[in-house]
Amino acid sequence: MNRVPMHFVVNGEDCHLEVKPNRILLDVLREDLELTGTKEGCGLGKCGACTVLLDNRPVHACLIFALQADGCEITTIEGIGEKKMHPVQESFVEKGAIQCGFCTPGMINTAKALLDENPNPDREEIKLAIAGNLCRCTGYNKIVDAIHSCACESLKERG
Amino acid sequence: MSQLDVVGKSFPQLAAQEKATGETKFVTDLVLPRMLYGKVLRSPYAHARIHSIDTSRAAALPGVKAVVTYKDTPKIKFGPRSEDWTIFADSKTRFHGDEVAAVAAVDEDTAEEALELIRVDYEELPHVISPLKAMEPGAPLVHDDKPGNIGAEFKIEAGNVDQALDTSYVVYEDQFYTNQVYQAYMESMAVLADVNLSGRITIWTGTQIPNMMRMTYAKALGMSPDNIRIVVPEYGGGFGGKMENNIHLVAAVLAQKSGRPVKLVNTRHDDFVSGNPRVPMHFDIKLGATRDGILTAKDVRVVGGAGARLVYSQVIVSTACYRVDSLYRFKNVRAKGYTVYTNTVPTSCYRGFGNSQSTFVLESAMDELAGMLKIDPAELRIKNGIGPNETSVHGWKIASSGLKECVTKASKAANWKQKKQDKIPYKGIGLSCCNHVSGNRPFAREFDGGSGIVRIGRDGRVMVYHGESDMGQGQNTTYAQIVAECLGVPMDMVNVAQVDTDISPFGLGSFATRGTLMGGNGVLAAAKEAYNQMAEVAAELLKAPAETIQCRKGVFFIKESPENRISFREVASQATIKHHGAPIVGTGFYRPPTELPDPVTKKGNVSPAYPFGCQIAEVEVDPDTGQVSVTNFVAAHDVGRAINPTATEGQIQGGIAQGLGWTLMEDMAYKEGKMINSGFVDYIVPSCFDVPNIKSIIVEPIEPNGPYGAKGIGEPALNPTMSAITNAIYDATGVRVKNLPVNPQELLAAMKKQADKKE
Repeated sequence: MNRVPMHFVVNGEDCHLEVKPNRILLDVLREDLELTGTKEGCGLGKCGACTVLLDNRPVHACLIFALQADGCEITTIEGIGEKKMHPVQESFVEKGAIQCGFCTPGMINTAKALLDENPNPDREEIKLAIAGNLCRCTGYNKIVDAIHSCACESLKERG
Repeated sequence: MSQLDVVGKSFPQLAAQEKATGETKFVTDLVLPRMLYGKVLRSPYAHARIHSIDTSRAAALPGVKAVVTYKDTPKIKFGPRSEDWTIFADSKTRFHGDEVAAVAAVDEDTAEEALELIRVDYEELPHVISPLKAMEPGAPLVHDDKPGNIGAEFKIEAGNVDQALDTSYVVYEDQFYTNQVYQAYMESMAVLADVNLSGRITIWTGTQIPNMMRMTYAKALGMSPDNIRIVVPEYGGGFGGKMENNIHLVAAVLAQKSGRPVKLVNTRHDDFVSGNPRVPMHFDIKLGATRDGILTAKDVRVVGGAGARLVYSQVIVSTACYRVDSLYRFKNVRAKGYTVYTNTVPTSCYRGFGNSQSTFVLESAMDELAGMLKIDPAELRIKNGIGPNETSVHGWKIASSGLKECVTKASKAANWKQKKQDKIPYKGIGLSCCNHVSGNRPFAREFDGGSGIVRIGRDGRVMVYHGESDMGQGQNTTYAQIVAECLGVPMDMVNVAQVDTDISPFGLGSFATRGTLMGGNGVLAAAKEAYNQMAEVAAELLKAPAETIQCRKGVFFIKESPENRISFREVASQATIKHHGAPIVGTGFYRPPTELPDPVTKKGNVSPAYPFGCQIAEVEVDPDTGQVSVTNFVAAHDVGRAINPTATEGQIQGGIAQGLGWTLMEDMAYKEGKMINSGFVDYIVPSCFDVPNIKSIIVEPIEPNGPYGAKGIGEPALNPTMSAITNAIYDATGVRVKNLPVNPQELLAAMKKQADKKE
């Protein structure tokens, strides 16, 4: 299969690659760019572990061909809170929302996209946002708490 | 106990920041130079004779570096508790998913292509999936040398069950079934194996039992255990599922044959069809009580489906026969257990280890008894519940028991009495209790305690070595808290080393809810030893006798004159200089006061401590569809002392979510011998919408045998969940759920039948 040139911006950096058309975004991120923070949980778009932000919207990197991201901006977990942890990351750490941590990168990407769009979601809105992200360790209570308290903090900060 | 600075506080997991930022390298993230990718060819049939395997075309494909089948292995029969495993299928395959061949290639695509080029001449054989059918005369034999497909039998009896049942005021008798379910840890099983020039193998994998696994694999590979090193990176969950599994050995054999590192990652489908899910069990139970609700006797028969080979299922079935007997003050109990081979994936450990299956059955029966006797189910539990300083029917010495406090506190928090009286159509409330162990003496027969190494370097940094396993539950953080507390240093000075069988102590591992108590006492013993060495140097520097000084928050001081002080770091530095560079190293072990059960009567004291719990679920049943939703949950758990309350709550909430999935959603389904829902598309696990708000109540009776009073929580968090939910369904509908998972159509039909009866 012939390789096709592509260009996208990953975590703020320009990436010029040549990829086979059948390669999925997840593999290109993990293997070619060595961004292993993005996880593969099921390969079928059912668990959300591979969630990344494509032009600031959460998508399953396992369901997208790399070439579909041509010309787009991609944010992976490595691009969130690079120098200082993002408040939602801090909140996950503080609230015990992380156990094994395998769902965490996808969960945090989904949470960040939600908070960017709606800085003050209620618990139902949070659940709606993360309904496609499976976690087998926590029973979700502390994840919802973490996102909710982060939203409350940001409200406080804005007065 | 004096004031605690570190224990009992909710520190974030040591690895939490790395996990939140994607820095953590999980097993699936590991890469070595010249690494190959392995893939396994699995049996498409439940049971088939293998006439021949032709791997020539696969081997000839460019990029393929090794192709292996049974004939490339040492052909030794092995197994953690049996000798019915081979690394690849020998003359026949015994389940859909059985390992037939494997390849290692330069990339995954080539490896997959190579699998398609392997030709296997199969002759399909009759198969058997149900363990009850497998026991019938004339059933297909999974192993030709195992007549009746019986893998193991277990028998236990105490008191006089027949007499006690005969003289009981009420006897409840019924049959129950608990199904096969999958752990669904978020990271599939994965392994990276490398062989050096002298033939020594290193295996990086997520495993709950690195040291015991090494012993099993040494046998399988015909090697000395010394020549196998197992390293445990961070891994994405276990829940009992990550123990011995053939993929580790397949990767090792591929690495041996190719001479290159080989990484093998299960696809989610592979993980479903070749992991080791929960042992399905059929129960017959008789449970008797006096008119006052005092339990008289329990009689059970358990038939468990082992799948095609024994992993730990025979120990799980025996656990289902008797562990739950120590929840109440039973005098007369009897159980007979059969572990039966079937043509399914081999079943094994999953959070609860047989006690979750039997807790579902006993606690459903208790609900029935309460109804027959017109006693409040909570009261019935309190009446019979085992208390502190009691000895159970099997000789278990219960030191601390917060069981009754759990029932009282959970009932109060759930507004149990009121809600139980409110009869709102299709809404119900249910209660269930549980007990468990913190370590299980008969599991690894040589010993059952724990050990640790605490190393203090020149800079005062503390490194803790243990041989258990942090599968994500936060075990490392617990150990760091215990060690920090003992040494008197802040948490940020303590780290926990990756488990590596070349360096770590020989820990038995993380199972049987043993990590916190056994491993915790092990690292505590090591910390005490290291502290004594440090205190000796500090005493010299402070010019005071060692017994007059103390260390707290990273500073040694004279107790009577605290202004005479020296930092822990300075003491560590002086100690290293004094010892010509040698670090302070404390090693220690914990020998629990347990007794190996008698081989005949099974009397003994299997654990140094026994956790208890009580959960209350509220449900709503949709009268049109039979769909059940769990609307509220209260869980009170006796954990001795919570070393880390947030982590403890996380265990409780996670356990309930898994139990909820098992009760209402999850079932590994077979059609014509093949698993038909081997992925998250058809095998649905709970999402955030399925799990209600869970109120956790931590009950702390302070266990005398626990490190700082702690017992375990991992498994008891799930044990009572299933029957709490099904008892709530009974309250809502009058229908007793006897088979897991709840089937909405069947529930609806039973509700209709009941309504018809009333009219």
